[in-house]
Amino acid sequence: MRWSILFFFLSWRFSVTAAVEEYREELTLRPLVDGKLAAHFSFSTLLRSAVPRDPSSLGTDDTSQHYTLFPLALGQILREHAIPEFHLTINSGKWDYDRWGHPGEPGVGSGAELWAWMGDGTAVQTSIDARWKALQNSLSGLFCASLGSMDALHTTSPANAFLPTGDLPRLLAPARDAYTLRHATLPAERVCTENLTPFLKLLPCPSRAGIAALLEPHRIFDADWHGLGVHVRWRADRGVQLTLTVQVVLDSVRTSTERRRDWTLESLFGRSLPRSCNVASSSVVLVTLPSDESAYTLSPEPHVSIEGTWSRTSDLNIVMKWPEEERFSYPLNIPPLSDLSVRRTLKGSSQTHGELSVVVRNNRPVPVRTHYLETMPWHVEFFLHTLTVTCGDRGVDCASLLTNMTYTPSRPHATPAQLLATLELPPHETLHLSLRVRKAFLRYTEHPPDAQRGWDLPPAVFVPFDAPHRRIYTPALLVDLATPDFSMPYNVIIMSSTLIALIFGSLFNMLIRRFVVIEVDVKVD
Amino acid sequence: MTFEFALAVATRTVLAFSPLERLLQDDNQLSSPLTSYSRLQEGVYLFRHGIDPYAGGTFRHSPLSLSFFSTIVPASRIPPALLWTSLDAVGAWALVNIWRSRSNIQRSKRDLRIAAIYLLNPYIFLPCLALSTSTVETTLQLLTLMFASRGQSSLSLLTLAVLSHLSLPAILLLLPVLLLLLSDPLSHLASPKPFPQKLSKCVPLLVEFTVSFVTLALASTLVAGGWGWMRNTWGAGFLLPDLTPNPGLWWYFFTEMFDHFRPFFLAAFSLHLAIYVVPLCIKFQHDPLYASFLLLGILGTFKPYPTLSDPGLFLSFISLFPETYPYLRYPVVTALLHLHAFLLLPLFHHLWIGTGTGNANFFYASTLVFGLANGSALLDYVWAGLRVAIGEEKEGWVVTQE
Repeated sequence: MRWSILFFFLSWRFSVTAAVEEYREELTLRPLVDGKLAAHFSFSTLLRSAVPRDPSSLGTDDTSQHYTLFPLALGQILREHAIPEFHLTINSGKWDYDRWGHPGEPGVGSGAELWAWMGDGTAVQTSIDARWKALQNSLSGLFCASLGSMDALHTTSPANAFLPTGDLPRLLAPARDAYTLRHATLPAERVCTENLTPFLKLLPCPSRAGIAALLEPHRIFDADWHGLGVHVRWRADRGVQLTLTVQVVLDSVRTSTERRRDWTLESLFGRSLPRSCNVASSSVVLVTLPSDESAYTLSPEPHVSIEGTWSRTSDLNIVMKWPEEERFSYPLNIPPLSDLSVRRTLKGSSQTHGELSVVVRNNRPVPVRTHYLETMPWHVEFFLHTLTVTCGDRGVDCASLLTNMTYTPSRPHATPAQLLATLELPPHETLHLSLRVRKAFLRYTEHPPDAQRGWDLPPAVFVPFDAPHRRIYTPALLVDLATPDFSMPYNVIIMSSTLIALIFGSLFNMLIRRFVVIEVDVKVD
Repeated sequence: MTFEFALAVATRTVLAFSPLERLLQDDNQLSSPLTSYSRLQEGVYLFRHGIDPYAGGTFRHSPLSLSFFSTIVPASRIPPALLWTSLDAVGAWALVNIWRSRSNIQRSKRDLRIAAIYLLNPYIFLPCLALSTSTVETTLQLLTLMFASRGQSSLSLLTLAVLSHLSLPAILLLLPVLLLLLSDPLSHLASPKPFPQKLSKCVPLLVEFTVSFVTLALASTLVAGGWGWMRNTWGAGFLLPDLTPNPGLWWYFFTEMFDHFRPFFLAAFSLHLAIYVVPLCIKFQHDPLYASFLLLGILGTFKPYPTLSDPGLFLSFISLFPETYPYLRYPVVTALLHLHAFLLLPLFHHLWIGTGTGNANFFYASTLVFGLANGSALLDYVWAGLRVAIGEEKEGWVVTQE
């Protein structure tokens, strides 16, 4: 990357004795080539030398928990269900990898995504599935999200694609298969204020001081793209680390009257940074400088380095201007900024069959190996025998580039399908994958209240081998399933039963009764 | 005769290679989830790639079909088209042979008409063009009855075992086939008499059938590497996991069913299918072939996953019983109902599924009409079969039931 980064420090505390709990906050602002601005808030709490609870101790009383900075509500959930690592993201909008590059936090798939690595418990009540369910319910209570509907219909275990980002403690009990991944997505889940409010309550300085003061709901949810994230991981040498993230892509061109891309903290978030959060051991605002040639000014002067303990008392309002620009003109051709460009569509107008088409382009001059993960709810069935892989625009058969395919078929009304394969992308090559799918017919009770809207399908995920934490999510798809008439249950039961009764009755009537020959009076004319 | 027969088969072969196949292959009326060729291909693909095809809900064919199509016949374009066409030709040949056994003659002028009625019946040749495995079932059904009419008990029972293995409801034909093996296929409708043999003679035949049926099930378990195939194939007929529309009566009923009543009605519908066997066999004990014919009508109307070929087989069989024609009560009404349903079914299916302009009730209504048409044909032939014994009406006298 050609970008350079400037630092603005709100506070910096240098202490000789390392505290048990440490809180750091950071805001990264990144002007994008299409005039937008990506803001990445990261609030990280470290519980030094803490060790996640071992699942074998779940039946016994836990040690008491005392936290000063770490949120107790979340700490209790982690201890109660013995979770060493989990990631929850709730996003709204479509992250445009080509124009915005890779996000600061990779989990940008639309809707809610939750994945957790868990050790196997010994008892039935502490089995992985029971704790996975309990974790969803606890988190949905904590964040006011409908995560509880991540049942077996949505849960998969694509362990190769979602590797743990931290370490996993050694299990005390000789567990059968050590650690297992549980992963689920709810592509239709939307993030809103009721998720942000409990989220802010987990911070030591919620919306009054420090960087979190900028999280003004009106501005956050007005952004083109916005998402919340909760990430818990354990590092053997450090301890349990909780990172709360907020990512937004703001459009200053849209909100400014002169159609300029100039921004200030106040124009973006409605307020400037008031004062530092006193408990934060570091509180930093980073500005990534734009890569294009245009002339810009940035004020106030950023800090280069700061030593000792330092805290800001006055307001900080960062201003970035492009003085030579009359109005921002959108660049016509933006070279893709991400390693891979992915397009995924569902073709076909029929309500019984369709074609899933995925187009992947390698933007790098070197070959790229990547995992390709498709998770499909049971109501869209793959016909794997129709899978074709072609290269470039000429449609040359390239089936050899798709290897290591593992496939778990879906079970109707029960579990989703999971397709995991390895793609080898030659430099600057485009790969077309196409697959026929069958759309299922659901019971009338399985349809959502707004059945005609269609079903959101979870995004496909590409995980490059050389950068496993740089996942790429495709946008979610909408599938149109045939609907029955929802007002008909009684009518159908009545009419079908009538027909059956009519045939049954007439048939047995004929079989049982005897034939007789009767003399009839011949009418006299 | 031979020339005309060859011509009819040649026409089908030409049609089998026309682009029609691609249009028809995924039509819900021609192939059900249990008989679809696309699903068979998917199962073979999964099987070849070491994935258990019975782990998911897509593949519902028998493990025997799986091993057959993964080893002997490649699931490509030409061999299956030829196989299906020849299956239909064999079916027509079997039907003609049943006729010959029934009328006890070597050849007649009626042979060609019977073969033509079978080969030109749209309910039979459309599923064949769509490569639906219900064509295999139809042919096996015909072969079972042909062998039974000729008194070849082992062949007949083996064919029936294969058939019931592929499509479990066909096991209902066992009783009339046993009766047919013990008696003769000749028409006794005009002179009903008690069954001439002792029923205890059934026992060795029944044992023979059970042995072949269990052997097939064990062989399937070997092929599939476990018992999981039973839930996907036979279980589907009882639990109805796939609610894809078909011309039958089950799918919409269980789409619209309240969840807490579902097990009750599934049990009721399954039992209902079996309830006709014994009464029909008792009433038509003098003519078990006619009882089998009526049971084919029951299956075509009330089967869990029917395709058009199930009622089609029943309708083709009508040509074997000319003695009943004068006694049909409502042949015109039945024919018009069938015409009505035949035109409405594809139209309303396309309106709902293809263009999205109609709703599910349109297609449901046409399946009801189709059910009524099949039911009225069935009732007509039950009536006529019983009525033949009384003879023609005389002036001033009326035949009725008390």
